Amino acid sequence: MTRGYDTIVIGGGLLGCATAWMIARDGGRVLLVERDQINQHASGSNAGSLHFQLEYRMIERGVEAARKAAEAMPLHLQAAQLWSDLPGLCGQDIEVKQTGGLMIAENAQQVELLERKTEIERSWGLDNRMIDRAEIDRIAPYLSDRVVAAALCPTEGKADARTAGPALARAALQAGAEIKTRTEVTGLVRQGGRWHVSVATAESAQRAIAESVVIAAGVWTTRMGQMMGAHLPTIPLALMMTVTQRVPKLIPHLVQHAGGRLSLKQALDGNILIGGGWPARLIRHRDGEPNFDAKPELLTTSLSGNADMAIRVLPDLSRIPAIRSWVGTTTVTPDQLPLVGPVPGQPGAFVATGGSAFTLGPSFAQALAALIECRLPETDLQAFDPARYGRQ
Amino acid sequence: MTQDLAIVGAGPAGMAAALAVAEAGFSVAVVDEQARAGGQIFRRPPEALGERHGSYRPYPWARELIERFEDHPGIETHFRSTAFGVLRDRDGLASTALELAVSTPTGGRKLTSRRLLLATGAYDMPVAFPGWTLPGVMTAGAVQSLLKSQKLLAGQRVVVAGSHPIQLILAAQLLDAGAEISEIAFARDLPGLVEMAQSLPAIPGHVSIFAEGMRALAKILRHRVPISRRTVVSEVVRTDNTLELRLSQVDSDWKKTGADHRVEADVLALGYGFTPSTELARQVGCDLSWNSAGGGWTVSHDAGFQSSAPDVFVAGEPTGVAGAERAWAEGHMAGLTIAASLGAAIQPATLARARRRLAGAARFAGVMHTMFEPRRAALAELSRQEETVICRCEEIRNGTIEDALQNNPFMQSASAVKLECRSGMGPCQGRYCEETVAARIAAIHETSIEASGYFNAHLPVKPVPLQDYRDIGDE
Amino acid sequence: MVKARRLATKRGGDLRITFEGETITAFEGETLASALLAAGVAAFSLTRTGEPRLPFCNMGTCFDCAVRVDDRELVRACLTDVREGMQVRRQEVK
Repeated sequence: MTRGYDTIVIGGGLLGCATAWMIARDGGRVLLVERDQINQHASGSNAGSLHFQLEYRMIERGVEAARKAAEAMPLHLQAAQLWSDLPGLCGQDIEVKQTGGLMIAENAQQVELLERKTEIERSWGLDNRMIDRAEIDRIAPYLSDRVVAAALCPTEGKADARTAGPALARAALQAGAEIKTRTEVTGLVRQGGRWHVSVATAESAQRAIAESVVIAAGVWTTRMGQMMGAHLPTIPLALMMTVTQRVPKLIPHLVQHAGGRLSLKQALDGNILIGGGWPARLIRHRDGEPNFDAKPELLTTSLSGNADMAIRVLPDLSRIPAIRSWVGTTTVTPDQLPLVGPVPGQPGAFVATGGSAFTLGPSFAQALAALIECRLPETDLQAFDPARYGRQ
Repeated sequence: MTQDLAIVGAGPAGMAAALAVAEAGFSVAVVDEQARAGGQIFRRPPEALGERHGSYRPYPWARELIERFEDHPGIETHFRSTAFGVLRDRDGLASTALELAVSTPTGGRKLTSRRLLLATGAYDMPVAFPGWTLPGVMTAGAVQSLLKSQKLLAGQRVVVAGSHPIQLILAAQLLDAGAEISEIAFARDLPGLVEMAQSLPAIPGHVSIFAEGMRALAKILRHRVPISRRTVVSEVVRTDNTLELRLSQVDSDWKKTGADHRVEADVLALGYGFTPSTELARQVGCDLSWNSAGGGWTVSHDAGFQSSAPDVFVAGEPTGVAGAERAWAEGHMAGLTIAASLGAAIQPATLARARRRLAGAARFAGVMHTMFEPRRAALAELSRQEETVICRCEEIRNGTIEDALQNNPFMQSASAVKLECRSGMGPCQGRYCEETVAARIAAIHETSIEASGYFNAHLPVKPVPLQDYRDIGDE
Repeated sequence: MVKARRLATKRGGDLRITFEGETITAFEGETLASALLAAGVAAFSLTRTGEPRLPFCNMGTCFDCAVRVDDRELVRACLTDVREGMQVRRQEVK
């Protein structure tokens, strides 16, 4: 059976669902295909932070690296607005709380780093300022005395990673998109000016045809690129997160650390989410290639290291039960900046991924929708152009 | 120090394996949540009651097994401790050691071993229906363990309901303790004498178990306890301190036929069978297979009880619920295989004897399976009302799950529903709602429970204080 | 509450614990679950909507019997032995 579409979106994570929704809303005939279930991989297994300040991984290698990473700031500013508008725009319940984020410092060196970082961010237009211990006592008395200062970004916060993806999938369905789950892409060929996408389910194989395709495939981006003969370099990162038992309201902010891998926040349900970029072990095939079908393995050092960081800044956590630790595999790019734009050498094919893809998901989706609909994206995408890595 | 073998579970399977490996000269560490060895099946009274053993009827070999296990100097035990996850040390692609994360009464610790055996047992199969979360509604295992190991009668008037033959034995024990059995409700027909007689040739060595059942039945009849066949509990309400139960007639497929009657009780003891505890196996990445007669999702293994995960073995109920005899035989065989994998020379005669024991126990288990396999889809239908709680921990109700399935037609897996609805995200980690969720997906999409898959299991498989995470980093 | 009853048998020495501040007599060798059931405690834990829960599985898997013991959260009463002076409270946010 062969069906024709305007756009086929590959990947049913947050980005794929948001992109499918936006294009369908604008009148496009959209098919979204997902090899597993909606929202099962990085989109549903990240901690749901909406962080607009530069993260620890971007500042740990010094100010110059931070300056480079800050080139993505326009996408972050756009995301801050988009997330707050998203529930209203898509007409679905999505839990979004932008109640402020703190990046905390425990010593003079970290304070200095925070100050330099804050300056860079402010130069890009991010609302962000340093606060001292007295102000921390006022707005974040839950933090241990070790914390001496913090950078406060009022638009930071959290969204519910469990439900945001499915909500956008429902919005896409209601706007007329088709969604096929447990459907894997097995071939991507451009013929006669259109994309022929081969898909397979457990029962059958089919082909769908579209004017354009969107690769919203997270860790599978590079593989999808190879399938069409394009070079889309990504680096997979398996990261661990932990959620605790529900506790009474304690932490209104997203808390990150300037001197180590830590993020802390409390979900609406009361559970505390602890993360911050602690690695897990990707399982690899014998040839060394990562095996994304195998569950990454937790590391003892990450479990204890992340708990140690969390308990240092919030000592009460030591007796609170952990309920679940899990791993999400995210992608970054060789230069740490996202990959957003046309697939080089492949007319009608577009891609977005790479770093902070939950926070930036709506920004990526908006950019992709604009490109597909031949409109000028609201943000200059030049720094994120996949062509910067060449065609092969 | 690195142990040769770490075992989770000190029931018949864990004890038998520990002995086989320790007797071959290897070091063994065993972790169990209970205070003493024996597992759920031989849950013993506390030492303060003055006895080393309780009654292990009808398993005459239990006493000797426990004594040999407790007296062996090569077996290190960690009781009152929860194995909450399995991690791996690797050198490149090769796995070099397993690290068992354990929560002990004094904090977290890491047990490093070359091999791991999961002998984690089973728990009473959950069946959701209106009122199953009310105080006084308990599993048969709960009522029985309070009685046997704590000498506590959970309530005076008891209704015993379900389909597992152990319900008869429980009822007799309750009568001995002075309880009044208001009624025994059996979802199936009681096995007739002919059926029993036909099954006897399959059970050499197991006659004592049937004898126990027959003794129990005689006692129940002598006490003139009402027994309802083809009857399930379909609703419980609670007024003051009394449970009012609705007992519903079902057909041979356990579907409700409409005729109801009501009965009062202080306690309802539910026993539809057992669900294998496979959480650690899932967390470490073992393949599972669906085996309804064996209790649902079971851990796949080879003839030597090695799972699909390197160096991880499994024995007892997680391979398919089959009772204590079979668990003992599997644990013994797994122990021999593990000892061989560590370099011990196992005599062919020893292996042959172990295989014969396994085969004998398997025949008996097969009989039990065909007689007592629950009709899962029909039981799951008991919770189709809007307000019925499916996930006990997060209080997720059936309406929430059905709405999610209606509104998200692209959702077909138990894990996807868990993520959307929070069902299975509380402290019990989904043990008590997984099957109902899977059955609901199957009913709505007209597929099978198996096709809905199982919940992903994560570390910690039981909640532990965050401090225990911190502790396992200490060398 | 459930009217649980200790059977007549030899028991360990008596000791005292508190539940929500009320003193309860228990016996050495008992689990916290047995002691609280025998004392007629009406709710070991409360769900998010305030529904009372008592032990369901009594084998450490269901967490309905979870209580707080001396500030430790989510302690399974069915796996915990009573100890003189134990201060036990209901598990309220589960």
